[in-house]
Order: sequence, then C-alpha cells, then structure tokens
Amino acid sequence: MNKSSIVIVAALALAVGFALSWFVASNKPVALESGTWFGDQARALPEFELLDHNKQPLTRASLEGKWNLIFFGYTHCPDICPASLQTLSEMMGSIEDPDVTGALRVYFVSVDPERDRPEVLSEYVRYFDPAFIGATAEMDRLKPLTRSLGIAHQIRNRVEGNPVYDVDHSSAIVLVNPQAEFAGLFGAPQDAMAMARDMTRIVEYN
Amino acid sequence: MRRCFLLLLFLAPVSAFAELDISDAWIKNLPAAVPVRAGYMTIHNPQSHAVSIVALRSESFASVELHRRLMQDGMMRMEAVPDLTVNPGETVQLAPGGLHLMLMQPVEPTRPGELHRIVIEFDDGSQQGLEMTVRK
Ligand SMILES: [Cu+2]
Repeated sequence: MNKSSIVIVAALALAVGFALSWFVASNKPVALESGTWFGDQARALPEFELLDHNKQPLTRASLEGKWNLIFFGYTHCPDICPASLQTLSEMMGSIEDPDVTGALRVYFVSVDPERDRPEVLSEYVRYFDPAFIGATAEMDRLKPLTRSLGIAHQIRNRVEGNPVYDVDHSSAIVLVNPQAEFAGLFGAPQDAMAMARDMTRIVEYN
Repeated sequence: MRRCFLLLLFLAPVSAFAELDISDAWIKNLPAAVPVRAGYMTIHNPQSHAVSIVALRSESFASVELHRRLMQDGMMRMEAVPDLTVNPGETVQLAPGGLHLMLMQPVEPTRPGELHRIVIEFDDGSQQGLEMTVRK
C-alpha cells in the first residue's frame, strides 16, 4: 500500500468513525438554563413495569422514541406536586412548535401506590393536562426505578387503618431520552418558561 | 349604653378585634379525588405586640392545620406547625414550597371561584375570620 492510499484509508476510517459517533452519541451537548444535562453520562434505565392510569403496562420500552419528563409524587400532596404538574402543563402550553410538543411526554409516577389507584391517578393527571400520563406500581416494583434515578421517597407517620399519612419525596423532574436513558434533571422549583426553552433546544438539537 | 355593649359582644368574634392584616388568601384547587387542599396568604402584624396563631378551623373542611415544608435527606417533607408567632411589624408569607394551611377533607368538592371562611384563633383567646378564594 502506498502512502497516498494509507492517507485515504485513514481519512475514510476517520469519516466513518465520525459519522458513527454522530449517530451513537445521541446526547449532544446542550446548555440548559434551568436543568442539568448529563450528555455522554446518560445511563440506561433498568427494566421496570408500572401500571398507567388506563391500567396499561408502562415499561422502559414505552419511553422509547420520545423525550420523557417524569415527576414522582403523590396525589395527597397539597403543594409541591400540584405546583410541579402545573409548571409542566404551562411548559407544554407555551411551546408553539408542534414538532417539539409531539416529541415530549409527561409522566406523573405516584410513590403512594396504596392510595393512588389508577382511577384516582386518571382524575388527577387529567386535571392538569389531558395528555399527561399517571402511573404507579407496588413498592418493590417501584423502588428499582426510583433508585436508578436518584429519586428518594418514604412513607411517614403511617398508622394501620388511618388513611392520613405523609409521603416524603424528591421534587426533581427527571428527563429520559428517546433511547430510554436517564439524560437530565430539572431541580425544584421549576420554571415553566425556562423549561420550555430548554426542552425546545433539546428536541431540536438532538 | 347596654345596647351598645351587646352590639360589641355580637361583633367581637369577627373583625372588631382583627389583629392581623391578611391579604391574598387563596386555596389551590385540586380534583375531588384528592381530600386535601393547601391555602396560602400574606400575614402582616400591624400591632405593637406579637400575635400568635394557635388554632384554625373552617366549616368547609374537617380540619385546618398550619404546615411547613422542609428539605431533609434530599426529600421534601411536611411538618405540622402547632403555633405561629408574628412579631410586631413582621410579614409572613404562606406560599407554595414553604408554610401553608393544610385544609383536610373538604365537606364538598371545591370549585375555583368559591369563597371559604376560615377562623383563626389567637393565644389570647380572640379570633379573626377571613375569606379564602379557591383558585385553579
Ligand atoms: Cu401540608
């Protein structure tokens, strides 16, 4: 092989490598104004199975193909959860590009499965936005998912037979990319307009 | 004179001795499936003495408490506040993510635009009523 063909092969290899990395690295750097973008550090979610508010299974595969914003909370939460869901609803309402809104899904995952039956979740999420999806599962099914996302939650002051108790929980909104990888985080308190600009950037650049 | 005295007695439980200036008092509405609501307001104490809120009640809810949010072990946690003292000249905000009224078990499902009457009881035994607006 002569010198010039080596150069050509090397250039070709470089081009192929570049193109490959372009396809593989679907998490291009995006500067967010209101959240944290993990970029190359995005990590695959474990397999899980929840039940959505229509009593249909919600699995890792259900998240593929969309940009997913997931908030973990409970319907008996008087202040934090309604505020975050309202912010998400306002965020969706303020994005004008239908290609962007069409690429987004919003989930409310209850960490209080005993009280938040599918019927309750259905009424609850639709109150904020008819397109939002509510889901939950028994604790042993829920924990591997929340743990992998760094979402802490704990039932407190629970007295057998008493329906009044609290659920402590993280208040961040988790971002899962179309490959079902944990790709970013929006810490509380969230701002609807800033999140709308961030999600528009993410969808358009990726 | 006696009539005047009786009239005063009649007015006493309401605003005759209103101790606090309360503004922007509202209740965050939630769907009927949820049996709790949060209430928010701005409380200012125009008196030259401290005023302590020791109890709350409403005919629209089974119970009303004062709660506080705090961050603990990376989680938002809710805690009951048994009494709240507002110092002379001080303004206290009840706002999402901080202090709030916890309105439990609405007697009827709440609707945006409604007014609900809340009674605040102070440590000296006096009371103050206020109307809270339900907002979407
Ligand atoms: Cu509370």
